[in-house]
Amino acid sequence: MKTLFLIALRNLALHRRRNLMLGGAIAAVTALLVFLTCLSSGVKQTMLGSALTVATGHINVGGFYKVTAGQSAPLVTDYRKIQAIVEKTLPDLDFVTARGRGWARLVSDNGNMQVGMAGVEMEHEPQLPKVLHLKEGNLADLSKPGSVLLFASQAKKLKVKTGDSLVFSVLTPRGVNNTVDVRVVGVAEDMGMLTSWNVFVPMVTLRALYQMNDDTTGALLVYLKDMKRIPQDVELLRKALSGAGYDVMDAGTSKAFWMKLQDISREEWTGQKLDLTVWEDEISFVSWSLKAIDGISFLLTSVLLVIIAVGIMNTLWIAIRERTREIGTLRAIGMQRPRVLAMFVIEAFCLGVIGTLTGAGLGSLGALGVGALHIAVPEGAQFFTMSSTLKFGFEPARILGAALIITLCTTAISLIPSLKAARMKPVTAMSHI
Amino acid sequence: MKALILSLAVLSLPLAGGLRAEALSKPKMVEILKGIDTRVKSSGDYKALVYLEQKEKDKPDVAREALVYRRDADQKLMILFTKPKTEAGKGYLRVDKNLWYYDPTVGKWERRTDRERIAGTDSRRQDFDQSDLAGEYDPAFVGDETLGKFKVWHLKLTGKPGQDLAYPVVEFWVDEATGNDLKRQDFALSGKLLRTSYVPKWEKLYSESKKAELWYRKEVRIFDEIDKANSTLVIIKAVDLSPLDANMFTKAWLESKSR
Repeated sequence: MKTLFLIALRNLALHRRRNLMLGGAIAAVTALLVFLTCLSSGVKQTMLGSALTVATGHINVGGFYKVTAGQSAPLVTDYRKIQAIVEKTLPDLDFVTARGRGWARLVSDNGNMQVGMAGVEMEHEPQLPKVLHLKEGNLADLSKPGSVLLFASQAKKLKVKTGDSLVFSVLTPRGVNNTVDVRVVGVAEDMGMLTSWNVFVPMVTLRALYQMNDDTTGALLVYLKDMKRIPQDVELLRKALSGAGYDVMDAGTSKAFWMKLQDISREEWTGQKLDLTVWEDEISFVSWSLKAIDGISFLLTSVLLVIIAVGIMNTLWIAIRERTREIGTLRAIGMQRPRVLAMFVIEAFCLGVIGTLTGAGLGSLGALGVGALHIAVPEGAQFFTMSSTLKFGFEPARILGAALIITLCTTAISLIPSLKAARMKPVTAMSHI
Repeated sequence: MKALILSLAVLSLPLAGGLRAEALSKPKMVEILKGIDTRVKSSGDYKALVYLEQKEKDKPDVAREALVYRRDADQKLMILFTKPKTEAGKGYLRVDKNLWYYDPTVGKWERRTDRERIAGTDSRRQDFDQSDLAGEYDPAFVGDETLGKFKVWHLKLTGKPGQDLAYPVVEFWVDEATGNDLKRQDFALSGKLLRTSYVPKWEKLYSESKKAELWYRKEVRIFDEIDKANSTLVIIKAVDLSPLDANMFTKAWLESKSR
């Protein structure tokens, strides 16, 4: 086998120009795929970061409360008992926090917008100060009733800054119009698409607005020490809550809580039902951007791979034609057909490995370089990138996976000409001019 | 000096009392509200062609036309948009206490809250429907006032206990001569003023089924008091009191209108 590798490498070196061209093409395609993979990872990391800050825990114990069959609200009543069950049930719990949920019209003197409200109790939010980067204001002031924390894009749209007054206007679960005056206590840096419509308010303000009592919240956000345990922990919670007599909704489809409101409103029941979701459910409506990037990567890579495959086949046809007499001689002195086949396949494999490794390196360096430039993304494209600047993530497994796929493809495509070379009769091959 | 001020103050008390209008008694105010409820209630069927104009800051004005169908005896209400083309076929249907919204572009019915803005304007279902002011609110007298050239009673209505009302507090200005409301202010639970409506024109027509005149607000101008730049104009262009199809207040009927 070592000899075959030596022959392959020497042959590659012998036809340097031709192989440089082909290897360069393989490297370019790999670099492109790695670059897009890093972009996809960056989007995923941004999405996860902002989602876990703004909208969701690793697991969410949410639910719906229906005063009448036609009116549902994303509420969990008597949440402290449920929190106790969560804390008792999950072995690797990091922390759990209660978050209010609301949807309101936020009005300033210069504009208005519909926003999702996250009601927080700052003393139970250890993560927020770590992940929110304030452009102005003071995050600690969010513990004061009648305050609001906006994100940069919202402040820009509403034309407000720290200290300005705003009004939240909502319809309570009982269908009564209510308002609350709030003061901007800070403006945080945008963290992707989710932060374009989510704001933070103190839980006490949210409760006053929605006329909720102290035992009611929007959802319990559960953070685990190990995200890999999410599926098992969801099942543990489902069993524990059902066992404690709570009506827990079926797992159903992967949807954010607000996307279920319409279906819930159609159902005839009244009272409380709990709903267990994971972080991916709560951002399912934005994960299409990830799928879009992955889809574009797949399409581009597929097209380029086809072109490369044609190139490899062509190169190997030429090599086989040039080396027909050599094949005949090797066969005549006893080399078996499988070894002839292996000789050509290994040559393509070596070319693939060298090309893809170079490409993976170049692609990673490119992503690193572009990421360091903090290039601003146009507003329209932010729906794809989830961030105001281009961000890249590096997942070695995904990068190596991309390189491996291209290597395997180039090797597999070389089987066709290699098989033809292996089938040659020694006499015919030796007499070839 | 002190004695002089005190004397003036004492003397001015009866004068001020004389200038202040006599407060309406509660039964009288309830009677006024019942009068409005009765006046706008149609015992038979009701069909109105409504023009809706919505003004919003930094957005082009949007004009819509809709047909409003009512059968007050059965609490039925249906709103079917006819213009512009993009809105045609969309509609609201009240079934029991639920308001359903139909959008033919997606072909789905959505259950909406009874208090939601109609087509995103500042108008609400209540603006097109019969009212039950006397049943839902407790009135209190604020004063006699003048609204333009009209002498009006200014009433403050507070939601009765146990009533979940879209606006828990409403202030009403009722024309002393006709008993029609000319101005209305709706307040949030927090006490913040949400919207002000003016009714510059009332009209009436004789209802055979009611054996009396049916009044309707010919023109209503609604101003958003939170987002000051927003306003909605509602004009009832025509009212027809002839009987409607017996089974028209159904989802199937509204759906058929968009085909």
